[in-house]
Amino acid sequence: MSVDEILLRSRFQPLERILCYDVFNTGFNGWMTLLPNFTEYPDFDVPPTLVNKDQWPPVMLSSATYRYPGSHGAMSGTFSLKLSTRPVHSPYEEIPAPGSMGHAIKRLSFYRPGSRYLQIECWFSYTAEQDSLDPEGTPQPGLHEKSIRAFGMGFDIQERGERYQVGVRHLNCFNGNLVQRWEIENSADVTDKEWAFGLEGDWCKRGIDPWWFGRRYPDGRHEAFQIIPDSHQKLIYNETDCKLNWQYMRLKIDTLNREYVEFQCQDRIWDLRGTHVTDVPGYHRIDNLINPLFWVETDQDRRVFFYIDSVVVSQE
Amino acid sequence: MKQFNASHLEIKKWFTGSFNTHPYELGWADEAIFFIIIEHIKGNNPTLTARVEISHDGVTWASDGSCPVTISGIGLHPIKVEPNFGNWIRLAVDIDGGELFLNIQIHAKG
Repeated sequence: MSVDEILLRSRFQPLERILCYDVFNTGFNGWMTLLPNFTEYPDFDVPPTLVNKDQWPPVMLSSATYRYPGSHGAMSGTFSLKLSTRPVHSPYEEIPAPGSMGHAIKRLSFYRPGSRYLQIECWFSYTAEQDSLDPEGTPQPGLHEKSIRAFGMGFDIQERGERYQVGVRHLNCFNGNLVQRWEIENSADVTDKEWAFGLEGDWCKRGIDPWWFGRRYPDGRHEAFQIIPDSHQKLIYNETDCKLNWQYMRLKIDTLNREYVEFQCQDRIWDLRGTHVTDVPGYHRIDNLINPLFWVETDQDRRVFFYIDSVVVSQE
Repeated sequence: MKQFNASHLEIKKWFTGSFNTHPYELGWADEAIFFIIIEHIKGNNPTLTARVEISHDGVTWASDGSCPVTISGIGLHPIKVEPNFGNWIRLAVDIDGGELFLNIQIHAKG
């Protein structure tokens, strides 16, 4: 058994068949920034939309290099995949500001009959930019944990003519309120128009693109997400913005019954069985699509970063 | 085999005045090229001056010591980055005399 295989089996819990095992110290491995569709006149322009997605910054291979400690490196070498935001945000209950999220995606597909379970697991870390101190009187004004609104991972899936997006997010902080709980993508019973913030004219469907659609409320509720009971979890944000600790999370779903199965972060596991996904009639040309993805969102006018050391996508 | 990657920094957007591109980490690469694509123009033949900047932390920036590059006109304008750029890199851009509709990419190999 090679060292790589020992590390894979020690750090991860893959299902029977591994679609990809991406260690970002070896390169991007096909992970790229999610961008809008370039399909329109006059010059491959973007269809009109309520949420401007062409401002999501590029994903990059990061050495996690900071002002004082220098390079933090990664868990598996020097480089990890980094998602970032621009230093812009809107209040939680408003439409996400252009550039307030970063989004990475890889594009795969189903390849064997009878696959039921699908799983994504990764080692990750996150931090906020060490740009400026918070105002006078703020305790630890150089600790910016509250700048990180949310991060998450999941899939965009279409199989047997139904499309659905499943995933989990850590709602860390909204409008300055540190909540640190886990939520799954699952839509409230709303119309497509309500899903699009009550505005006409977008192509969106309830349940699709929950990261930026679905109305959000001042108490933290989000029509695109469902709170996992007893999911408050303080993750490691280690004393200063320039210390990273690599942490583990795993999401397993059932693509036969279109249900969540379980979610794990660090040493806690939540049973999600019986939670049906929000599915819609399939889109053209994408049946059997599996797109694993990650995202991060800022809660202040400050860049925040989400790092992935390595990721495994598996099926059985 | 070497690594290569191209990333967008700006896509299909009008710009005027001064701005900086998103801080980008390139510690894995030996060479880099910024591609500025001017798609549309408003004004009287506006010019764009770009300076390559580097940083030790992605927050504080300084010139990499190369000469600023001034371009104008619709089309593709490559800016080859001088070697020894380290890790953090960005373009500092000044547009004078109008507005430009830009795409900006960074290509890297190493």
